Amino acid sequence: MRGARIGLSEAILGTILLFTFLLMAQLSPQFLTSTNLLQLPRFVTEVGLIALGMTLIILTGGIDLSVGAIVGLAAVVLGALYEAGVPLPGAIMGALVVGVVAGSMNGFLIAYLRMPPLIATLATMAIFRGLAFGISQGRAYRDYPDWFYTLGQGYVGPFPTQVPLLLGAAIVFAFLLSKTPFGRKIYAIGNNETATRFAGHDVDQVKFLLYSLSGGLSAMAAVLLVSRFSTAKADLGQGFELDAITAVVLGGTSISGGTGGVWGTVLGLLVVGAIRNGMTLAFINTDIQQMAIGAALITAVTLNQVFGSLRLRRKGVRTTG
Amino acid sequence: MTAILRLENIHKSFGGVQALKGVDFELYPREIHAVVGENGAGKSTLIKIISGVYSPDVGKIIFENREVTIENPRIAQALGIATVYQEPNLYPDLSVLENLFSGRFLKRGFLLDWEEMRQRAKEVLSLLAVDLVLQAPLKRLSRAQTQLVQIARALLARARVLILDEATAALSPEETKRLFEILEKLRNQGVGIIYISHRLEEIFRLADRVTVLRDGEVVGRTKVRDISVNRLVQLMVGREIRDLYPRTPRTPGRTLLEVRNLSRRGVFEEITFEVKEGEIVALAGLVGSGRSEVARAIYGLDARDKGQVFLEGQQIPPRPWNALRAGLILLPEDRTRQGGILSFPISWNIGFSIIDYLRNRWWTIDERREHSLAKEMIQLLDVRPPKPELTLGSLSGGNQQKVVLGRCLLVHPKVLILDEPTQGVDVGAKAEIHRLMDRLVGEGMGILLVSSDLPEVLGMADRILVLHRGRLVAHLPRGSSPEDIIKAATGLAEAPHVR
Amino acid sequence: MYVDRARQLSILAFLLVLGLALLAYAPSFFQPGNLRDILVNASYLFVAAVGMMLVILTGHIDLSVGAILAICSTAAALASKAGWPLFAVFLLALGLGGALGFLNGLLVTNLRIHSIIVTLGTMNIFRGALIYWTQGAWIYDLPSDFRTVGLGQFGGIPYPVWGAIVTFALFAWILTQTSWGRSLYAAGSNPSAAHLSGISIPKVVLGAFVVNGVLVGLSAVLFSTRFSVIQSNIGYGFELLVITTVVVGGVHIFGGSGTLLGVALAALLLSTIGTALTFFRVSSYWELTLQGLFVLGAVALDIMRTRRSLQRGEV
Repeated sequence: MRGARIGLSEAILGTILLFTFLLMAQLSPQFLTSTNLLQLPRFVTEVGLIALGMTLIILTGGIDLSVGAIVGLAAVVLGALYEAGVPLPGAIMGALVVGVVAGSMNGFLIAYLRMPPLIATLATMAIFRGLAFGISQGRAYRDYPDWFYTLGQGYVGPFPTQVPLLLGAAIVFAFLLSKTPFGRKIYAIGNNETATRFAGHDVDQVKFLLYSLSGGLSAMAAVLLVSRFSTAKADLGQGFELDAITAVVLGGTSISGGTGGVWGTVLGLLVVGAIRNGMTLAFINTDIQQMAIGAALITAVTLNQVFGSLRLRRKGVRTTG
Repeated sequence: MTAILRLENIHKSFGGVQALKGVDFELYPREIHAVVGENGAGKSTLIKIISGVYSPDVGKIIFENREVTIENPRIAQALGIATVYQEPNLYPDLSVLENLFSGRFLKRGFLLDWEEMRQRAKEVLSLLAVDLVLQAPLKRLSRAQTQLVQIARALLARARVLILDEATAALSPEETKRLFEILEKLRNQGVGIIYISHRLEEIFRLADRVTVLRDGEVVGRTKVRDISVNRLVQLMVGREIRDLYPRTPRTPGRTLLEVRNLSRRGVFEEITFEVKEGEIVALAGLVGSGRSEVARAIYGLDARDKGQVFLEGQQIPPRPWNALRAGLILLPEDRTRQGGILSFPISWNIGFSIIDYLRNRWWTIDERREHSLAKEMIQLLDVRPPKPELTLGSLSGGNQQKVVLGRCLLVHPKVLILDEPTQGVDVGAKAEIHRLMDRLVGEGMGILLVSSDLPEVLGMADRILVLHRGRLVAHLPRGSSPEDIIKAATGLAEAPHVR
Repeated sequence: MYVDRARQLSILAFLLVLGLALLAYAPSFFQPGNLRDILVNASYLFVAAVGMMLVILTGHIDLSVGAILAICSTAAALASKAGWPLFAVFLLALGLGGALGFLNGLLVTNLRIHSIIVTLGTMNIFRGALIYWTQGAWIYDLPSDFRTVGLGQFGGIPYPVWGAIVTFALFAWILTQTSWGRSLYAAGSNPSAAHLSGISIPKVVLGAFVVNGVLVGLSAVLFSTRFSVIQSNIGYGFELLVITTVVVGGVHIFGGSGTLLGVALAALLLSTIGTALTFFRVSSYWELTLQGLFVLGAVALDIMRTRRSLQRGEV
């Protein structure tokens, strides 16, 4: 399957996005204001960074359920290090390192020990979250210097800092995926991992890198989150895996790997973000938001299935006779 | 005597491709009826219609004088038609006993009657003179044993028609002999057997009658004793295959590939040999002797416990990417699962092994160069249809194999390892591939050929290495007889270790 | 039947080692009251694990069991408060669980979406629906007869343990003596072969999800009737615990093999560890970490064994 290309699924996605925006506008008159819409990227970037990494992982046929837990762990490490006297840039570095290390642990289990990604990341999700709780013993870490808050709450021109951050990341990932050999290998692994190995490529290394990257992105998201909320707690990031996976799948990436792309994920992200934002404005409980996102996920996958099978039938993929 | 099974005027097409045209077929009780033909001739489609996987577009199926419609495999089984496949579709995690009866459990009222099943199973197995542990999980059995389980299943279902599709592909000569004994016994008991194989020697050994298919039509049907091998091949191919094994005599040049003391516990040990410029070295042996494992270990895809691989004197660390860089590549045995990516276009597949080297200044893939390289390769190998943007999955099996071969050749290897390159490939394409092999070594390449096709080994190789249970037991020259190879392969001739 | 005893023996060995360690460092662990608690905890976990085992056997998974547990517990509590007789409360919980399981199964089989995704979605839908309905409120003042199930006993054995025993006996029989039970294994071991031999995979999978839902409903009753208050966040993390139990119990994550006895032993093991942690004076915050490590250990063992048998076996 070709990489990122504007096709039928992106058109459908655009329609869904439009529909979502209209629906949210109904829920709250504040939704469609320019102040609100400009703020939308803020809420979406943390999950967005994770979703970008998740896109690559799902493309290879894998999945990472531990991303939310890594956010919590990285946040706690950030807070704990800073409280222990480490200067903030160092604490941030420490959090990022922990994220990458956690991700690489996933990578090691999945790529080199050949564990099924679902069960491996379900287990590490528990391990990382448990570590976060264990280290912090449930407390919150506060009181950071003012400059730290500009990351999460500041502006670049009229736009929140998150906009260039997310956009830049999306561009880099899209380029990586559709134009580089590394990206081609990702699609290949998702389509036929065995053939990719026989063709002489180091599939394990690719997977290892992707999971480590995902861990690093989760840690970055943690830093942004702490900067936005001014607090670091062990339960940060709960439910992020749902939002990220929903964004990716809504965006047209098949859960079994091999087809999909970054820009679809970005559109999916906007849908998820719009739902959350719109509902928050209408004072709707987060648990109910979860319900809506869950429903959106199932709808998205169903639509994907339906259109995916239509596409295959049109191409007339031949099976040996 | 009336036929058990009769097919009349069967037509079947898939999306515009006519797989079967007006095919008539009949099977009598007490006969082994072989069906032969090149790949794509329609054999597989024919038996899939009989076993209920497909339904004919036009035509009648008459089973014991009754017209029937076999809409799905379940109905075929209910009629008494059993199929034994190369890749058995059974349950690896479940016990042998359960596999024998799955879908047909014997019950006592509402509950499963394991005791009765065990009884019946023992009866059938002793009939087949086979010793199997009923409690063992199926995944622990060998290919040959799994096939026997399939046959036992058919017997338990009181099959009247037994279809075997390339059943001996993974069997040793001993196991094949035993299978044939069982088939003959079954035939004598009144079962009608349809036997499909590419191995013509087997047809002549086993079958009573043979039907030849070509391009979806029946072009011949006779008693086996009334036809010769050459005439049979002629019918299959439609022309005389003059030379299936074209080789030009050459003197080998310098050593390209050197394998020393390659070992992997329990699989193979102390494999040592070389491949020189201009020569084809064959690695022969029975199934389970470790040929493919050795090949994959040399390539670096599988692990090794000890030993080294050298290409042009340089040692290659054990990983496929190192092998590629040094100039060594492996063409895998299974082209759809291991060789190519079916949903990628042909050009992407051909360029895939060297994708890291097809780079622009900006770390992007040079798609134009990839495209032109693909077109060159398509022309060289005569891939049809010659359109680089088509997906690999839309090509026929033989053409897919050519594309995978193209990917390997693009690496410009000095040594090419071919693992069963002509397995399941029709006679015409086989000759093409052999011609290509001869040409490649003529241009200075060295080829290591892993093959279970004895005539191919005898016809193509300059030297023949024979493996037996993971050890190199013989090193035979070109011109050796089939008996020499078989003796070595079965361990009857322990030749002194020669390099 | 092919029965693999290795996992069962390893769990027993582990329990033995743990028991010896406790004997040495914290002998007060072996008080009858404490042992009773462990058995009770293991019981409701086991019941839910049986349900999950059925689903995993067919090659699927259900991440929504925690949410289903929450819904069934809340419904049972509210019904009891409203004066429903105990058996009606039971039926409500089981029926509700079955209905939710049916929804999961329907989505998985009809839409042909991977069960990870479906149940990830329904987990959130169910939980959200529950919070919407209860407005996040906790449920107090539960009638005394509600608590009899969780705290009462019959013949010296607590009711929850009876629940586990009955479940064990019933499913041991179903899984080995009925064709439905064997079809679960067949569907997970080789779906295409199962289909060819006439087994309706969608029906089997749907059935597994429904029974799973019913068993979670049962587990909910056994679980929630021990408390005097039903919190709004009941059941968080339950799915992980249940999946851990099943995987540690030797059920292959891709389906097709696994034993009931293994799962029972695993439930006992995990329940023991949870309590042992407190006795070793380890903060309960680390329990989550330990569960994760256990799963990894179990899967790693599985993988090593498959690899070794592949090497020994055929090509």
